[in-house]
Amino acid sequence: MLLVLSEEHKEHLAFLPKVDTKVVGEFGRITMEFLRRGTSPKIYEGAAKKLCVPVEIVQHGVEGLMFLMLESSKHMLSEVDFLDSVLVLGFDEELNQILLQLYLQHHNQIRSILSHLPSSLPAYHNLEWRLDIQLASRLCRQQVIPMLTMRLLLTRGCDSHSDYSSRVLQADPSTLLYLISTLEAALAAIKTSHGRRILRNIK
Amino acid sequence: MELSESVQRGLQALADASSFDQSSFQALIDVSHRSLLSSHGDPAVLDHPELKQIDQILLKQVHTAATTFILEAVKQNADKSTISSSLEELTFSAEKIEIFYSIYQVHFNSPAHFLTPFLSFSSSIGRRPAQINDISWRLQYHMKNGQVDKVNEPFYSISLNSEKDGCSEDMNFTCTMEQLQDLVGKLKDAAKSVEKASQM
Repeated sequence: MLLVLSEEHKEHLAFLPKVDTKVVGEFGRITMEFLRRGTSPKIYEGAAKKLCVPVEIVQHGVEGLMFLMLESSKHMLSEVDFLDSVLVLGFDEELNQILLQLYLQHHNQIRSILSHLPSSLPAYHNLEWRLDIQLASRLCRQQVIPMLTMRLLLTRGCDSHSDYSSRVLQADPSTLLYLISTLEAALAAIKTSHGRRILRNIK
Repeated sequence: MELSESVQRGLQALADASSFDQSSFQALIDVSHRSLLSSHGDPAVLDHPELKQIDQILLKQVHTAATTFILEAVKQNADKSTISSSLEELTFSAEKIEIFYSIYQVHFNSPAHFLTPFLSFSSSIGRRPAQINDISWRLQYHMKNGQVDKVNEPFYSISLNSEKDGCSEDMNFTCTMEQLQDLVGKLKDAAKSVEKASQM
């Protein structure tokens, strides 16, 4: 597929051929830093002074470059598609190659950053368990009740990924066996012919 | 069995033949067992035809003493001789002891611990973590989302239903196939250790 670049976008990127190729590489580096850690006005001002151009031009150039990289990574463009999309900007061959190299080097990273953006449901992280035998309680003596206590750790979803929520749960042995048989059926579902057909054909 | 003074007094009143003949005694013991085993307190529990002639205040004292005695016996898993000797000390006649024990036995049959209502009754009172009731799953294929195209990954949505103090709660989470295999592996380890423990 080809990217369709808006007129405004093309205008922003029009700055790139006017500078040295080393500068384009520098912009690429700023772009990646932007994606990883955000940016600050000082970086733009510094670059603008060195190149003797207004700050907005530098800012638009970097943002345009970043948007180009984002969209290409989102759609997983092949090399050919990327070059064809960039062709419309009318850059020379060397600049196109620089942009391509920038894309190829970084698109995996960009995709993994993007994949953290969507809000998600809590996801399974870990299950800790222990087997206890209850011998007595305040109301009742001389019991022999096996009890499985479990701690389920889940990631919090759209919040910070390093925090886990934990829930303490109990189950008796028969419930445990029921859980195991149900989940094994779930695992088997992915290996049915129906499942395999879908996984194979939607790519 | 250790019983407080007020319980002992209530039971002695129950033992007294002039206040409770055998049929009203049987009715009261029956009613006491049923009020322990039902899940809701029933204000009409003492409205039994056999108990209508008895002074209502005495009836309540005796009912409280009887239910406390039954709970104590259940708590300690008392056998027939323990119950009989405790009741004898409180001046119960042999016939009343027989009547009591035959009703008690129907509801609280010891020592088969695992299979009796005794077990679920006493275990359901008290604090404990949420109990797992049910689990359901969905297998889905994630194709794309607003930020990333061509994701193309299968994943599971699991819903774990648990209950605590009568409130049911659903825990929803997602996992990949590898994570689900990890979860099932851990549950199987737990099951194996339960099996080993039961063989000791």
